[in-house]
Amino acid sequence: MILEGPLQVVASIQDSVGETWNHYIALQHVWEENQSLKIEIQKLQGEQNRLREQAILAMDFQKLLTYQATVPMTTVPAHIIGRKVSNWYRAMVIDKGAQDGIHVEMGVITNAGVVGRIVRVNPTTSIMLLLSDPNVAITGMIQSSRDEGIIQGTPQGAIHMKYLPPLSSVQVGDTIVTSGLTDDFPRGLHIGHIQQVTKAATDLFQSGEVTPIVDFSKLESVLVITSFQPTISQESQPSAEPLSVP
Amino acid sequence: MLIALHIVLCIATVIAQATFSSLLTIHDVYPDLCLILACLVGFLSNEYKGLIIGLTVGLLQDLLTPGGIGINMILKGLAGTLAGVTTHTVSTVTVSAVVLVTVVLSLGCGLASLIVAYPALDGSEAFHAISSILIPQALYHSILSAGIFWLIHKIRHAFGVVHFSHKRA
Repeated sequence: MILEGPLQVVASIQDSVGETWNHYIALQHVWEENQSLKIEIQKLQGEQNRLREQAILAMDFQKLLTYQATVPMTTVPAHIIGRKVSNWYRAMVIDKGAQDGIHVEMGVITNAGVVGRIVRVNPTTSIMLLLSDPNVAITGMIQSSRDEGIIQGTPQGAIHMKYLPPLSSVQVGDTIVTSGLTDDFPRGLHIGHIQQVTKAATDLFQSGEVTPIVDFSKLESVLVITSFQPTISQESQPSAEPLSVP
Repeated sequence: MLIALHIVLCIATVIAQATFSSLLTIHDVYPDLCLILACLVGFLSNEYKGLIIGLTVGLLQDLLTPGGIGINMILKGLAGTLAGVTTHTVSTVTVSAVVLVTVVLSLGCGLASLIVAYPALDGSEAFHAISSILIPQALYHSILSAGIFWLIHKIRHAFGVVHFSHKRA
């Protein structure tokens, strides 16, 4: 009974001292620890973001390599390392050049479809012009009606299909593929879709505006066609050898 | 040492043009950093340096563009030289002078590039190229050049570096 009061006082003092110790004095290094942990978290977040980015790039490139293995042509995979070097050309720089077997006029594709054409080759880099550049023209074909025309870019960045036959039944939404008449692309590669068909009263041919299948602004890697086998339809075409008359 | 520094500056500008210029794109118009460099060197030093830097950066740009080798080299060299000549014709190169001269040089270079790049443009396409690319790009160049010129001028002033044209005057 006599000791109860002093014991309670001593116990409460001990409690408050312990509380102070635990909450303040023992935690004096927590702030520093917190700061270092925050820095660690930032570093790990950066690392995670970097790895995620690498995984996305690797996945895209893997898709391209899988496509490369399935197509009947020899291609060289390349990464885009530069773009918008000049306002007057819709061009991109790739990381493969003459040392990798790239030559001028070779076609450039992705797993989606046609991208453009190589116009300059340096030893380790090459410059390709996109389909949307006016200096690029390739032969295309309406997949359904088999009507052929010339695919060419405009200074505005649009892509037109010119010289379509006047009686062609081309419709909005029709798929356009390469016709294989030129040496840079095999037949049947996807180019895009017809967005609009125009034919003025005085025009001899129809023309159409084309929506490209490839989003050029999001290109990161491409395949350069170094050589390709002619397709069955091209192989089965009659040869140019003169007929022997008995 | 100075030559090496100039070469590094030119290489860095061309690399920046090929990689980061998309960050500076406004409504599909992006600046020609090589032209801006040539003009600024001309404004801030003299026509000889403008010529040398313009030729170097233009040659490097030519290596990464589809057009013929020498087009950018000639145009940038010319732009650097004319920007340098401006420092002779006015007593003090002011920001407004930079704006005016850069607009003129950019229009000239752009027009020449347009003719070389697309010699077979019809009237409507040429009009579109001029109104939607050439003129906005010239204005963009002038704003960027003036901003960088003003910044360098302020830094020079803060460190007590006398402007070339001031020293001559």
